[in-house]
Amino acid sequence: MGRAGALAHALACAAVTPTARLVAQGLGRRFGPRWAVRDVSLSLAPGETLGVVGADGAGKTTLLQMFAAILDPSEGSCTVLGGDSRRDSKRIAAGLGYMTQGFTLYDRLTIEENLRLAATLRGVSDADYGPRRAQLLAMAGLARFTERLSGKLSGGMRKKLSLCTNLIHAPQLLILDEPGLGVDPLSRRELWTMLAQYRETGVATIVATSYMDEAERCDRVLLLRDGQPLALDTPSGLRTQAAGRVFELRGSDLAQRLPALRALPQVRGLQVLPDRARFQSRDPAAAPVPGSQPAVPVLEDVFVLHDTAIEPEAPAAPPVTLSTPGPGLVTRDVSVVFGGFRAVNRVSLSIQPGELLALLGPNGAGKTTLIRGLCGLVPFSEGQAQVAGFSLPGQIAAVRQRIGYMSQRFSLYLDLTAQENLDFFASAYGLRGARAREAIAQATAQLGLTLESGRLVAALSGAERQRLALACAILHQPAVLFLDEPTSGVDPLARYRFWWLIRRLAQGGMSILVTTHYLDEAAYCDRIGLMHQGALIGWGTLDALRAQTGQSADASVETVFVQAIAQATAKTGAAA
Amino acid sequence: MNRRRVLALMGKECRELARDPLTIGLAILMPLVMLFLFGYAVTLDVNNIRLGVLDEDRSPASRELVDRFTSSGYFEQSHAFDTTRQAEQALQRGQVRVVLVVPRRFQRALVRGEAAPVQLLVDGAFASSAALALGYAEAIVASYPAAPRQRIETQVRVWYNPGLRSANFVIPGLFAVILMAFPPLLTALAIVREKESGTIEQIYASPVTSAEFVLAKLLPYAGVALLEMALLVGVGIVWFDVPFAGSPALLAAASGVYVLTTVGIGLLVSTITRTQLSAMLVALIVSLMPSFLFSGFLFPVFTMPLMLQLYSTLVPASYFVEISRDVVLKDAGLVALAPNLAWLALYTAVVFVFAAWRLRQKVAA
Repeated sequence: MGRAGALAHALACAAVTPTARLVAQGLGRRFGPRWAVRDVSLSLAPGETLGVVGADGAGKTTLLQMFAAILDPSEGSCTVLGGDSRRDSKRIAAGLGYMTQGFTLYDRLTIEENLRLAATLRGVSDADYGPRRAQLLAMAGLARFTERLSGKLSGGMRKKLSLCTNLIHAPQLLILDEPGLGVDPLSRRELWTMLAQYRETGVATIVATSYMDEAERCDRVLLLRDGQPLALDTPSGLRTQAAGRVFELRGSDLAQRLPALRALPQVRGLQVLPDRARFQSRDPAAAPVPGSQPAVPVLEDVFVLHDTAIEPEAPAAPPVTLSTPGPGLVTRDVSVVFGGFRAVNRVSLSIQPGELLALLGPNGAGKTTLIRGLCGLVPFSEGQAQVAGFSLPGQIAAVRQRIGYMSQRFSLYLDLTAQENLDFFASAYGLRGARAREAIAQATAQLGLTLESGRLVAALSGAERQRLALACAILHQPAVLFLDEPTSGVDPLARYRFWWLIRRLAQGGMSILVTTHYLDEAAYCDRIGLMHQGALIGWGTLDALRAQTGQSADASVETVFVQAIAQATAKTGAAA
Repeated sequence: MNRRRVLALMGKECRELARDPLTIGLAILMPLVMLFLFGYAVTLDVNNIRLGVLDEDRSPASRELVDRFTSSGYFEQSHAFDTTRQAEQALQRGQVRVVLVVPRRFQRALVRGEAAPVQLLVDGAFASSAALALGYAEAIVASYPAAPRQRIETQVRVWYNPGLRSANFVIPGLFAVILMAFPPLLTALAIVREKESGTIEQIYASPVTSAEFVLAKLLPYAGVALLEMALLVGVGIVWFDVPFAGSPALLAAASGVYVLTTVGIGLLVSTITRTQLSAMLVALIVSLMPSFLFSGFLFPVFTMPLMLQLYSTLVPASYFVEISRDVVLKDAGLVALAPNLAWLALYTAVVFVFAAWRLRQKVAA
């Protein structure tokens, strides 16, 4: 089916058809007083792929659980494979494949045993099992490892095996919750290839994702924000909504023009990238910003378009220049070995003062362990590192005074207020009295953070917590700042703003290392490092990496990453 | 119920168990540790009670009375006092538990055939051992050939545990308590672990019914519990010299019914809790503690207030404590066990149905 065909097909299915695999009407789910999802109505035709897209906490998993008939809706109804999701859940289950976000496999069973169990539980006959097993394992590239315990598989292999166990009974409806999470780009591609092959059998698929490129592969996309559907359309249809609203501004005087640009009333969703600024125009009829060019909209722009929330545009103070800019960070062949497992494998990299470096890679690639090593939280098994002018492991105490660390879950005290959190972290850095007050005032001004007294952190939104955690990490003006997955679970608008704040910190002289599993976010950084199975398989500017991997100048980060993995695998293969 | 699915799930459960050496090790080791701890610590026998003597008479008759105390094996003389004050101090400091006061003119009164009172001071702070000590002391005094008074001779014969050995009484009771302590703890984790890891959602979204799922968890863990039982009985006989009077086959069959109950309770706990930690705590509270106090393992149920007696009927260990002692010590037959077994079977059925109903196969209804 071609693109145009798919579009026509999808549009035809918008009306409720008797053969629909799934029909949801006014579907909603409440947990206590809070609505996790509300007002979802849609219908899914055989062979159709629906993407459910939104940030973490947008209600994707809740919606999928209702579709899979394992969560009863609080309002509305859901008809799945002809049965009512409340009453006929076991009948629905027979024709359903549901791959949850977390672990769906039994770690102490082998690949073969997991697959066999899934088949038996779903009533697959021995006659059917043989050929399907062979076909699926071949597609997943797992045929050689059938006796391996699934607990010993890589993230990518596990996801592929999970998919196999959910396809073994040839389901009519396949529901996948964030299949790309924790999977390296190569395995992610293979996963989507498997899905594409399987779609030809007429299976209807629902995929929840926060990756825009995965959403682009779907026939239709449902955008969710805080449990509310924003839009439901084909990817191209959605992008059309944002057509004529997205602009770019380039030029050598970009940095000087930014404050004025930010002040313009029609500019919203400003993304500051190293070489350009990208923004939406609030009013399509308004006169264009001088010097700006129309840009090609992407799916994420549609989110910003529909985001009616008032932007937290509290004026942020100009960047503070560090009094003593540090010499950055250098590592030489550092490794972290847990037992026999090399979580970080001979990583060498450097970050200059004022530089913003992104470490990219799936969960489990070793990014967090590397950062924890550089903070002196885990000892390096091999190699040396110089952080902010001091060496590890010898001068751990000195290093800790000169670094800031924002951990993955924003380690804030939820039952304290923002002010109390800041006070605590200030005292933890040895700042007292007037110096502490000054540091807190400076950090909050820099990040445009207003402190509401009496409000506990537990009541703050993800974006507010994110900035508060950053403020706590920079109170003592560290020379090197580590940010571990700072942008997960945050809406695009808040994310754009966060990247801009980080960039301004870098302009003040900090060396900043950020990890992310969103490959697109590489665009915000000066240089990027690609991590795969504990090793740094490439680092440099995106252009340099494109050249190294022999890709064209407009190749996506994902393509570069996949190629880098291939090169690294070939190299270790040749060495072995 | 679909037999093929149940067998497949049971196979999965057995494989997971067999490949988890830590759990297996704990399942074997913990009951043994508890058996040894309690087998030695919980002893109701009282020996070598420290005795102080205040002998004001200093006559052959008084010396013979003291000898009778020390040669009984229950008492050892640790102190001799000269004044009442000394005796009081020693008792207060816990240096002696019992003081025997033989007053002046003890021998003379005996010779004249008059009443010859002696005084026994017993440290009542340890109520239960004090009562025992008092009993022993009274028996010794009573058997002292004083005046040729007419007495009714009682011939006492103790059945089933002629030596009145604590171990013979404690160990069979421990079988019941230990099987109530550890198998539920293991199984309480069994479903919660799948909730935590998320694999349970795959089960929800498959044609497996909750009864099938619970049954497939129940049987393998009951098998592990039966293994534990065999081990406990073996160690009880070989190490603690507990005589085994009854039929091993009967005890095995009764254990089979009992472990289904205890494992079932663990599964029930597993269906109502969300995290492994809370599952463990709840399992300890609902299984281990009541089975210690209300099973009749140490404290006889028939002496408790009526409300607590009723409560103890909810404690499955109370049935099996009786079954176990009946078979091991009394060689009881099936007929004698039938009422207790029937209660346990009913208990198991109720727990199973409740657990299957609780596991509603939905993330939330």
